[in-house]
Amino acid sequence: MIKKSGSQTELKKNVLEQSLCTGCGACVGLCPYQVIYDDRTVQLFNCDLPDGKCYAFCPRTPADYDHIRKSLFNIDDLTPEIGAVKGYYFSRAFDPRQRVNVQHGGTVTVLLELAMAEGMIDSAIVSSRNNEFEQHGLLVTDQNQLRGYSKSWFTVSPTVSTFNRIPDDRKKRTGVVATPCQATALAKMKTAEIPGYNRSDLPGLVIGLFCGWTLSMGKFSNLLGRYGVSLADLTGMDIPAGKNILEIFTGSGLISVPMAEVDHCVRTACRYCMDSTAEFADLSVGAARFGADCEEMRGWNQIIVRSDRGKQLLELAIAKRALQIREAPPSALQELKNAAAGKKKKALKNIVEKSHSTKNLLYLKSDDPIVRKYLRVDRKRKRKS
Amino acid sequence: MKEKTFTKTRNVILTGVGGQGNVMASRTLAHMLVDAGYVVTIGETFGMSQRGGSVMSHLRISHDSVKSPQIPRGGADVIVGLEPLEALRVLTVYGNPQVCVLYNSRPVYPIGVITGELSYPSGKTIRDAFERLSAAFWEIDATSAGLKLGNPVLSNIVMIGALAKTGLLPFDRRRFEKEIKKTLSVDKYNVNMKAFDAGAAMIK
Amino acid sequence: MSKLLSPDRSTVLFLGNEAIARGALEAGIQVATGYPGTPSSEVIESLADVARERNLYVEWSVNEKVALEVAAAASFAGLRSMAVMKQNGVNVASDFLLHLTASGTRGGIVLVSCEDPGALSSVNEGESRYFASMLEMPLLEPADFQEAKDITKWAFELSETIGNVVMLRSVTRMSHASGNVTCGKLPTKRRKAGFEYDGPVMDSKTGPMISTPVVAKHVLRQQKLKDVIVEEVMPFLEENVKVLASGIAGRIGIKTFFGKYDGTLPFAGELNPDVVADALGRILKVKRKFLPADYLKDIQKTAAMIPAREQTFCAGCPHRASFWNIHNAIALDGRKGFVCGDIGCYSMAALSPATGYHTMPTLHSMGSGTGLASGFAKLAQFGLDKPILTVCGDSTFYHAVIPALINAQHNRADITFIVLDNAGTAMTGFQPHPGLSVSALKDVVPAVDIAAICKAIGAKVAVSDPFDLAATGRILTSFLADKGSLKVLILRQACALSPEKKGKKTFDVRVDESLCLGDACGCNRLCTRIFRCPALTWDRNKKKAVVDEVICAGCGVCASICPQQAIVKTEVSGPG
Repeated sequence: MIKKSGSQTELKKNVLEQSLCTGCGACVGLCPYQVIYDDRTVQLFNCDLPDGKCYAFCPRTPADYDHIRKSLFNIDDLTPEIGAVKGYYFSRAFDPRQRVNVQHGGTVTVLLELAMAEGMIDSAIVSSRNNEFEQHGLLVTDQNQLRGYSKSWFTVSPTVSTFNRIPDDRKKRTGVVATPCQATALAKMKTAEIPGYNRSDLPGLVIGLFCGWTLSMGKFSNLLGRYGVSLADLTGMDIPAGKNILEIFTGSGLISVPMAEVDHCVRTACRYCMDSTAEFADLSVGAARFGADCEEMRGWNQIIVRSDRGKQLLELAIAKRALQIREAPPSALQELKNAAAGKKKKALKNIVEKSHSTKNLLYLKSDDPIVRKYLRVDRKRKRKS
Repeated sequence: MKEKTFTKTRNVILTGVGGQGNVMASRTLAHMLVDAGYVVTIGETFGMSQRGGSVMSHLRISHDSVKSPQIPRGGADVIVGLEPLEALRVLTVYGNPQVCVLYNSRPVYPIGVITGELSYPSGKTIRDAFERLSAAFWEIDATSAGLKLGNPVLSNIVMIGALAKTGLLPFDRRRFEKEIKKTLSVDKYNVNMKAFDAGAAMIK
Repeated sequence: MSKLLSPDRSTVLFLGNEAIARGALEAGIQVATGYPGTPSSEVIESLADVARERNLYVEWSVNEKVALEVAAAASFAGLRSMAVMKQNGVNVASDFLLHLTASGTRGGIVLVSCEDPGALSSVNEGESRYFASMLEMPLLEPADFQEAKDITKWAFELSETIGNVVMLRSVTRMSHASGNVTCGKLPTKRRKAGFEYDGPVMDSKTGPMISTPVVAKHVLRQQKLKDVIVEEVMPFLEENVKVLASGIAGRIGIKTFFGKYDGTLPFAGELNPDVVADALGRILKVKRKFLPADYLKDIQKTAAMIPAREQTFCAGCPHRASFWNIHNAIALDGRKGFVCGDIGCYSMAALSPATGYHTMPTLHSMGSGTGLASGFAKLAQFGLDKPILTVCGDSTFYHAVIPALINAQHNRADITFIVLDNAGTAMTGFQPHPGLSVSALKDVVPAVDIAAICKAIGAKVAVSDPFDLAATGRILTSFLADKGSLKVLILRQACALSPEKKGKKTFDVRVDESLCLGDACGCNRLCTRIFRCPALTWDRNKKKAVVDEVICAGCGVCASICPQQAIVKTEVSGPG
């Protein structure tokens, strides 16, 4: 049986020292012992408590993820590849002005603005960066200020730590824009069982972002240096479908970096992540990748509706003419599922390579049905050992 | 109280925690006894002792000869503790069945106790130990008396007042008054005399 | 090819000093330091010539003390090293040498003293051999050139066997004469530098490099010496009395001597009345009268329940805040940097490691922290890639740090140097120092500005208030990230016991119990478990922190570390 929670020392041993830390910030902001500094989670002092929220909330500590999945979503909606699906669409902001200077169709910003305008939430945590490109979570309480933060930098900001720091009574009135690891951490918060801790209905809304990997800031900064660019010069980044390049927008023009070069800048922890669609969010949003005309699809998002709350918000967005919706063809959903299944298989393969065992899957349980489905056991190798 | 005279060497240990005014108290005491015609040696540990550690002064009061500045184990006649635990610590090294102890009841917790790694014995445990291991002991709340007079560090003077009243050492109020008049300003003199009297009043 | 790198088994004519240098190379030396002085200089000069080829670090240090410190840093990091000087240089180095022999060493380290009998090129006929006897350090003296090479090589092995520095003495007629030397093999491997200090205090391989517990370490050192060397270190008085007695034996006859040699008295530790009385008792065969057995048993039982009272920084001490900042900056940096300690109240950070938040693993003589740091910083080429910090007090800065700081700058040692400026010589009772505009005679005198000196040396200089945790933390983290230069941070805040501060509180500090989380997850008593201020105590019954008003000095720093803002400070209004 897997322990429900553990200590800061175990967090260090099982996550930080194993290069499994995603930098999501779930263990930060809870106490004075841990901080994020220079893209790293740093333990300042030893906390000798046997069980801590830091360990319980971390998306890379062992937990019964199948149980979390089933307790947060309708069992009938669950798919092995991309989690719960109540609906799947292409979407973009209805107002063309809202599609300017955003990552794709501007869907996330529209949904957040609407959720705030309609009183579903009264504040939102989005990812922001300072001049040194250090990412952090920013609590926005004015819906008119959301638009400045709608770009993706392909890095993880310790958003969950910002959520940890807001007063408890505000938490369920707060929406969070989360990467898959961050959405997992927030789901673990909702379901954690620690004596004296009960926050089952928080946060108020989680809008998940599709994510294949994130960049290690240090390594990426070195790579940019080779192209004569610094982090501060960046105005945007994108991965256009089918081109196998990372587009880097700067004040002085566009630079295309081959993905092979970007690959070694990927955060080690991301190689062990099974979730590319933020399966624990209320709604998950990503770039639309479907169709022959990828330039045209660039202005659209794909969106997965997962929970009742997510469904309620999307329906509201359609009714209020905030979002423009296109029915997605079934083949688009299948394509997404195939890609997500591929990521799961690869992550499990990497995990087995790291642990040298199909029994020890680090933070995952070998009897989790999703794990069982995608774990390829190399029979020959198994017989040898 | 009347000043007594002694013929046998008295071995006195003043102990406390750095910052409690232990050195000042032992020097005041020594000056009074020198004035009274005794030969006194003080063995002190200070320097690092300001930094919250245990502090101890050895006073050896003889009517005729100079003694080593260190009292041998088991050789104390009187122990004056500005802090209960330190009084007990000194007793376990320098105590003997004839020793008399006067101590301030207010604890100063060691860092190890504050962090939770060690535990501080209860007031009763400490009293019981003195009951078993000394010929006579007095416990007074000198820190509260000092606080009432406006400064907790006056507890060392409160202890000197109490010590005078016990009659364990050959000095009295008049001798103390004469001593502090030499060095202190008028308002400091007044509050020190009040502290002395407060201490004396605590010994029944 | 340099003559010094002649092949194995070739016979070469070497200067005595070259023979010593060759012996050091054969021993696998990686760091050599020195200060020039006849007749010693050729040892460093010849090693410097082959430094690039043999991948050595060689420096002319600012003085002999710093030279020994730089070499000692290499030894602490497991490398073999050598410090070379002339006889009177040993006097300069002796302050550090005393502490170095007390803390012990790791990689083989040899102190070479080239002396000048007859004062052929000196203004003295100084003798440094007595340091060896005084500091209980093996002394090797080669008799010819071959031996000069061989004995130097062996000296490093001896040093590693006894875990301490070994002294090699040469004289002008050896150092500056030449003779035949048959060379041995030059090693091909070199060691990787690594400095361990987290182990137990008595573990000479992994513990902190400090001289305490002094007596226990002294005993250990003597034990190691006895293991290898038959001849013991001599008790000065006992020996001299014996010499005197033998001279007049005809008149007084043969006498029996009781002392350290026959075990009547211990070789280490204080000779207090109890030790002397016990010894006399044994000589005179009388038993000391002692306490009744049941009383003795009871006090032993009682002593066992008395908690130890560890020394710590006073309530309101600026050093606590400074080390809090230093610890956090090192932790954030993540490369496991450490602080080389120095002499002052802040030595407590090494003597009682939790007080300095386990940041300060070395402690030797005044000014040695900066000299050691200067040496550690040069070990990056051997794999010791971590930020090196050092601290000193304001008074210590003037006493012995300036040469070491110049050494660091001139030799491009990348260190972060922190002056814990508490506005006086706090430890000894606030005597004036050159930074203050008052002299011992209470005259008004020019104050010498630390920041200006550091700027003149060429360092990056910043000044901050250690009580301002946020500002100080920012400077320190940026200094640690700023590689390749000498950084100086002056942390200014007067000592809590200083005449201007003593007894005056800046803030009234109290704990709001309703906000205090106590030992729950979310805090777990950061203030009382980790911060360790004697005024901030723990109420076991309520399970809340509590400020002891009697001890609190009112600095208010604890209010900035409480994650719950449960520690409340209110400014004390000034007089009038």
